[in-house]
Amino acid sequence: MRGAAIATGAVVVLGWPWAAPRYFVFLASLIVVNSIVAIGLNLLSGYTNQLSFGHAGFLAIGAYTAAILAIRASWLPLPATLLAAGLGTAAVGLALGVPCLRLEGLYLAMATLAFGFVVVEAILNLDWLTRGNDGLHVPPGHLGPWALATDTARYYLVVVVGALLVAAARNITRTRTGRALLAVRESEIAAQASGVHLAAYKTLAFVVSAFYTGVAGGLFALVVGFLSPDSFDVFLSVDFVAMIIVGGLGSIFGSVVGAAVITTLNDSLAGFQNYRPLIFGAILIASMLFMPGGIASALRRLPLLASQTPGSASRTPGSAPRTPGSAPRTPGSAPRTPGSAPRTPRQGDDR
Amino acid sequence: MTSAALVHVVVSGLATGSIYALMAISLVIIYNATRTLNFAQGEMLMISTFVGWTALRVLSVPLVVALLVAVIAAAVLAWVLERTIIRHAISATHFDVLIITLGLSLMLRSVAGFAWTHDEFPFPSFFTNRPLVVGPVRVAPLSLGIIGASLALMLALGALFRWTRLGRAMRAVAQNQRAARLMGISVERVYSSSWILAAVVGAAAGVLIAPVVFLSSKMGLIAINGFTAAILGGFGSMPGSVVGGMLLGVLENLAPLYLPASIKHSVPFLVMITILIVRPGGVVGRVARRKV
Repeated sequence: MRGAAIATGAVVVLGWPWAAPRYFVFLASLIVVNSIVAIGLNLLSGYTNQLSFGHAGFLAIGAYTAAILAIRASWLPLPATLLAAGLGTAAVGLALGVPCLRLEGLYLAMATLAFGFVVVEAILNLDWLTRGNDGLHVPPGHLGPWALATDTARYYLVVVVGALLVAAARNITRTRTGRALLAVRESEIAAQASGVHLAAYKTLAFVVSAFYTGVAGGLFALVVGFLSPDSFDVFLSVDFVAMIIVGGLGSIFGSVVGAAVITTLNDSLAGFQNYRPLIFGAILIASMLFMPGGIASALRRLPLLASQTPGSASRTPGSAPRTPGSAPRTPGSAPRTPGSAPRTPRQGDDR
Repeated sequence: MTSAALVHVVVSGLATGSIYALMAISLVIIYNATRTLNFAQGEMLMISTFVGWTALRVLSVPLVVALLVAVIAAAVLAWVLERTIIRHAISATHFDVLIITLGLSLMLRSVAGFAWTHDEFPFPSFFTNRPLVVGPVRVAPLSLGIIGASLALMLALGALFRWTRLGRAMRAVAQNQRAARLMGISVERVYSSSWILAAVVGAAAGVLIAPVVFLSSKMGLIAINGFTAAILGGFGSMPGSVVGGMLLGVLENLAPLYLPASIKHSVPFLVMITILIVRPGGVVGRVARRKV
């Protein structure tokens, strides 16, 4: 049943350009790009309970890196350009994450909020490189002999990269590092007691998150074809946060669904710009109060689906039922994972 | 740059700095009580200042009354938001409340756009902008007034925390919520009071700064500088917030003199990162350790 669902999904995704009008092919590419960002952000928020309001900044860094490479070093093959966009962005993430994640607390949320503004400011000021407010035209990419000149070609590129990154995210928890991240998610204190270096793993999650967003930025540059600083404002960062909240924290499937919902909503609200923040704000509050696990966990609670995938929930990171808010994260409350050994640590202060 | 001109720059830096300090204090008041950040703090400031401005325009009341209206509006807004929305997430993680306040900030800004448009409006001040000349030094009474009024407000807050029953309760909850509850303190009431107190401080800050930065729906972005000021002072410390705010204000005004002018908007971020690298506990504080 699960296999059939995946097969149907694959057929729909691959056949989409042959069935849908051109604009919807473009929209679908955008959804995949946003899904990659959402998965990246979810690796951070879903595992380490940290929040970033600067992912629009990371997307901008990835997009401008890829665009400038495509213009100035056009001999570079496309995969190398995308990889460079991801690695460059990851390096910036490392520089930002190290100081902000050393401490307990919400420093990252505050610093990334300011970071987003700094990136836009930097793009405006480095106008010899980025052409500032005039915007930057991105040449169409080449993949070997093929020019990615049509929406359909770009769509398939985006889908292939997206599929690779989804597979990577699903497999992250099978490694030693991934198990450490799982332990951090279940209980920071228990993980620390088992020898997991909290700051290092939080920073790692942030760097991986930046890498995903950087690659997505490179794809964004190709799909949209034109970059200007005002498309990377703080509201885009809020959109990314909304994607993972609506879709479901800690769920890859949820990230994709959230990206689809928010991107489509954004597109249909294009004529009602003034109502957009009002609606998004209401969605955020309502999701937190009434649907804390997002769409992913709401779907899982449907009896039809729940009975068909028993046990799968606790194995993969993508489908683990994690409903923040429904249970207080006291130490020892959920030693589901290998590595978080102490079952009953001493109960003490709330913090 | 003459030293007289430097005095002018530093004084106006201290003026904006005292507003950052008030912003940081209101963020810290809520943080200490509930261990969460209020991302809607800036928007609450903006809305209450707009309400005061409306009283000023429509009823043409004196400025003092407008200040009072703004403060009352802030208190009511905070009370309503806390009771109808935040209270429902009282058992949730700080993460959830953070997202809720993010949603609130979007909604409040949008509502302000509908009520008052997204334009900028001039706002009258208690103090004149005509410079006061003392020998070679020129100082704007506006700056001195903002600094004086902010300091008075900070002293009043200090007294409230030190000597009143509510202040003691708030300090107790900040130290140890469970112990405070066992001592018979209503933690819920402290939550509400914190939100109201923070909003009132914010409204006063809004009325003080609006003549300088203009009144607009974007005014809430000042909260970012409040975050920076609070981190600079070691998040959670009131005296630290004051020092951090003043320091940030002065740095922000001095930086464009010695560095490229375009750096001004990046100063809060650079200061925040620098302090987190060099002295993560803030200029006066130390790193808080979580006890198990």
